[in-house]
Amino acid sequence: MSLFLIISLLIISVIGILITKKRSIIESLSLLVSGITCIVSFLIAYKVSSVGTVTFFTFFSLDALGAIVLMIIGSIGFATTIYSIAYLREETKKHIIGFTRVKQYFILLQLFLFAMYLAITAGSPIFAWIAIEATTLSTAFLISFYDKPSAIEGAWKYLIINSVGLLLGFFGTLLYFTSVSSLGEGGFVSWQTLRENASHLDPLIAKIAFVFVLIGYGTKVGFAPMHTWKPDAYSKAPAPLGALLSGALLPVAFFILLKFKTITDLSIGYSFSQTLFFIFGLFSIAVASLIMFNARNYKRLLAYSSIENAGIIALGFGFGGLGVFGAVLHLLYHSAVKVIMFFSAGNILLKYHSAKIQNIKNAFHIIPTTSILFVLGFLIVTGTPPFGIFFSKIYILGTGIKTHPVVALIAILFMTMVFVGFLRHITQMFLSRSTEEKESGEGNIWLVIPPLFFLFLIVLLSFYIPPFLTKLIHTVTLYYTYD
Amino acid sequence: MSIPFLQFLVGVLFLTVVFNHLMKKNFLSIISFAVQSFIVTLVFLHSFLETGNIYLFLMVVFTFIVKVILSPLFFVRLIKKYKLSFSVNTYLSMPITLIVIAILTFMAHSKKFLPLTSIVPDHQVILSLALSALFVSLFLIVNRKEALSQIISILSLENSIVVFAIFAGLEQSPSLQIGIIFNIFVWIMIATVFVSMIYKHFGSSDVTSMNNLKD
Repeated sequence: MSLFLIISLLIISVIGILITKKRSIIESLSLLVSGITCIVSFLIAYKVSSVGTVTFFTFFSLDALGAIVLMIIGSIGFATTIYSIAYLREETKKHIIGFTRVKQYFILLQLFLFAMYLAITAGSPIFAWIAIEATTLSTAFLISFYDKPSAIEGAWKYLIINSVGLLLGFFGTLLYFTSVSSLGEGGFVSWQTLRENASHLDPLIAKIAFVFVLIGYGTKVGFAPMHTWKPDAYSKAPAPLGALLSGALLPVAFFILLKFKTITDLSIGYSFSQTLFFIFGLFSIAVASLIMFNARNYKRLLAYSSIENAGIIALGFGFGGLGVFGAVLHLLYHSAVKVIMFFSAGNILLKYHSAKIQNIKNAFHIIPTTSILFVLGFLIVTGTPPFGIFFSKIYILGTGIKTHPVVALIAILFMTMVFVGFLRHITQMFLSRSTEEKESGEGNIWLVIPPLFFLFLIVLLSFYIPPFLTKLIHTVTLYYTYD
Repeated sequence: MSIPFLQFLVGVLFLTVVFNHLMKKNFLSIISFAVQSFIVTLVFLHSFLETGNIYLFLMVVFTFIVKVILSPLFFVRLIKKYKLSFSVNTYLSMPITLIVIAILTFMAHSKKFLPLTSIVPDHQVILSLALSALFVSLFLIVNRKEALSQIISILSLENSIVVFAIFAGLEQSPSLQIGIIFNIFVWIMIATVFVSMIYKHFGSSDVTSMNNLKD
């Protein structure tokens, strides 16, 4: 019923925005709906923590990891809506966009949220695939939002690379169906049916299928070498969207990938998927660390940071045990910190009208709160103590050193390089002086409140995790831990 | 429909993908795609005749409308509007392209992929052909430099996967199949709009002209 409420509210809001001609109504409707869906997401997650996997009709179901990702979508969706209203108002003031663009933005934003909610709750892998494909379709026009040649280029790459990746993922998904002799309840093959029949899956087909699925959904996650769309899309999309792409879409795609990993592990044991997670995880961290060093655009820098963190999460799930616990925590913290960083990046962009690192000078003096947020975001995302990511990395790498020391040591080496590369750019952006005079001030207060709230949230979650969330994380850890 | 006839149909589908590699004119590529999609429609019709499932007949109708009629019409309009009658070059020369196609076809028929092609032993030849079409479509995507050609390549890949799934007995419930075809339809519309935008901004649909984004 609650999920039905989320879905129907999002559909109503899309229709409402479509027919209205008043900006205030568009903003209020988006805010109201994203606020309610955020609350309902938390209520559903709370229910999952107390009763276990929840099924809605026959088409939808939600397990512990799904509940965590649902909360991530709900909270980031709400924060993005608040921030987007303030952000787009500033852009309208500067005559960058007009009413039609604002309307288009909020319709696509609601559709994007709708698709992510569907993907996370879909009871069938094909239904989940349709929803993930819908996330690509709803965001393509958001990436080309500013209608500039570079934005079109970014959106085209995003559309083509993700479509090809997802088609390969679709092929892999279909191969898993070879284990099932007939369609299940509701006339479709559900995740549950695939798990129950995993032992009937031919080992060679299981391996080929997982490779296709890993390439397909791994493209959406942003694993190297399928990551090439990410820096282009993140840097060209409106800043608020970056938070959703990195903070919410990445966990959604990861969640679906993990569902296939479980089925594969049940069929052929965990070593095959573990090896692939190590390869893609390490390669992603390595590629990100090497490119970040010479990045020239701070939004692209954030995209590479997402690629690196996707790699770290993959390693956590690969190591198993406490590594899984660390990976789930990392997923949570990473999503929250990316909200802070993308929103701060948006504020910097509004002030400097440039996404190039070399053009950002004297930021601490001109936009002090945003600068503090961005620098704190950098410290959090690179795993500086005492913030949560430090602990999640300790859990992941600690487990890695015990079980796979070489993999863990290589990861540590590249993660250190990420810190050094990132620090270099942070120093340039926030500590360099400029003779050029710029009016100081943050502008609209609502550009600062959402990232500040997420900073507070990360600090809180670094030291205290609510019991219901602890229960969910423990359930996920037990579920994804090898015997 | 007999197995040799079905083999013939999938053989034609494979040839349409190869033909798209050889074609320089966009218009011929569209005709080739329409023929390919018509084969997919016939394969669905075969499934419907075998099972008598009325929903499969709906799939026949939807596939025919979306892939055989509407998509080619969209593409032809695009060609006329922006005068995209000639497609641009490939990354590899024609002889090398043919060698790669031969290698990919050989690979799909090799023992390595036997677990996939022998899912339904009676359909092994058909599944090998469908897998070849899948690999050659993938190669078409990376080898073409023009936006419209890339769209057609992606749709060819989707057609190859659908045909493989049908002959491997991996068909999904009709409601989900309709969801997939709707998704593809929306994708085609969005991709077509993007080709227009690319042409407006870059004066060409050659994707190599898009080189603004670098680290």
